[in-house]
Amino acid sequence: MVKKEFSFNKAAEEIEKILSNIESGNLDVDKLSAEVKRASELIRQCQKKLRSTEDEINSIFKDLV
Amino acid sequence: MNEKLTLTELQLIIKDSLYMALPDMYWVIAEISEIKENYSGHCYLELVEKHHDEVSIRARVKAVIWSNRFRFLKSFFENTTGESLRVGIKILVRAKIEYHEIYGLSLVITDIDPAFTLGELAIKRQQILKRLEDEGVLNMNKELDFPVVPQRIAIISSKNAAGYTDFMNHLTGNSFGYVFYTALIETPMQGSETEAGIIWAFDRIASHIDKFDAVAIIRGGGSQTDLSWFDNYNIAFYITQFPLPVITGIGHEKDLSVADIVAHQALKTPTAVADYFIECMNKAENHLIELSSEIMNRSEIILEENKQRIDNFKVKLIPVARIMLSEIKEQLSGSIIDLINIGKDYILKAGLVPANQKSRLSSASRSLLSMKDSQLKLNKQKLIAFPGAYLNRLSIKLSGLENSLNILDPENVLKRGYTITSLAGRIIRLCSELRNNDLIKTRFSDGAVSSRVVEKQKGEK
Repeated sequence: MVKKEFSFNKAAEEIEKILSNIESGNLDVDKLSAEVKRASELIRQCQKKLRSTEDEINSIFKDLV
Repeated sequence: MNEKLTLTELQLIIKDSLYMALPDMYWVIAEISEIKENYSGHCYLELVEKHHDEVSIRARVKAVIWSNRFRFLKSFFENTTGESLRVGIKILVRAKIEYHEIYGLSLVITDIDPAFTLGELAIKRQQILKRLEDEGVLNMNKELDFPVVPQRIAIISSKNAAGYTDFMNHLTGNSFGYVFYTALIETPMQGSETEAGIIWAFDRIASHIDKFDAVAIIRGGGSQTDLSWFDNYNIAFYITQFPLPVITGIGHEKDLSVADIVAHQALKTPTAVADYFIECMNKAENHLIELSSEIMNRSEIILEENKQRIDNFKVKLIPVARIMLSEIKEQLSGSIIDLINIGKDYILKAGLVPANQKSRLSSASRSLLSMKDSQLKLNKQKLIAFPGAYLNRLSIKLSGLENSLNILDPENVLKRGYTITSLAGRIIRLCSELRNNDLIKTRFSDGAVSSRVVEKQKGEK
């Protein structure tokens, strides 16, 4: 089983891209809310990554030591 | 054979001769090859001088520091150099030669010059650094990108050490609530096993390299740490070659060890290392917060701009829509009148022709009427749909239409010199719609006048 790992870096890059899209002024107003929603979801996931414990990593680390 | 001497007598002769021949104190450079403190606080040493190969021994002598001197010299030396008196370091000592009938020759050390040892260590450190530099590896660990989120940390330390406990308490108790994953690889942090132990630890981490973001080397703790165990070429070389950034918290107030110098980042204490990791996480999170507030601000500005545009269009569209509606109404009523006339015509014609043609005519007129009727319905639908579609397009391409709207704006028509005439609020397009004495209103770009019809001149331009 390969669980796709959430990458903080990739998420942050995507958020930056969304911001630069919005800043460029070329963004369709209709797409704005979808982009903002996506950005806030990514930010939520990033913050979750910083704070919530993943048991999977813990158990791997226990085996290492 | 002359006189026979007892062993004691011989030893005493040697003792006296040595005392006569070497009565002074001497400053002697030597390396400690053995050192131990006995139960009563006396310190017994073996001092050596090595050949250039640093292995074979050229000279060796026993030495002692009596407890009353040792207590003072030990703390003086350690406080000045940050090193303990231990095997492998070079010292400059002031000593007197003593000969004991049982224990033989030894140096009695009365003073130590810590500055000499500091200089020696600095030279050794310089040599290692120069070698690493010559090999082109000195800054390789520093050149690695430090991870944005250093959450999975491999720790090289010893478990029962105060330093490791401080580090862990600080890291896990961080006020932001960040989660860290740590794996401790235990190894001695001082003593002769330091080098082999740390290299073994690096090898273990390397075999799980993808599980970690960074490596921390944390001091073993205790009051005294010998920095010079980390002035080691092999440890330094491993750090430079390691694919993950290495942070050191070996802890030394005075100086940096070679390991510190080649590490990605050197910090004074284990808690400072923990703070460093926490700060990195905090920086990453603050960056996110900045991005999200920037996105919010920008979006609000865009929404506000669009709201204002729509409001502007509404204000401009209302008069345009009114004019369009009155045009449509007029066209419709014109068409109805036309149709009625055509119908009348046909019926009239039908009365003049024979009966068989009458029915043909009436059916032809019926079909014509129904055709006209359906056409009318179609037009009506189109006309009804038209403003709707028009508004739709406007809301999608808000900005592009601003200019064309300006042209349509009756205000602009008025500015070009045209006027709008109305009678009781109805726009008048034809002279024939007016009668003498009607009160009409003429709108100009800058206002309106009311006037009465005095005379009509039909057909004249």
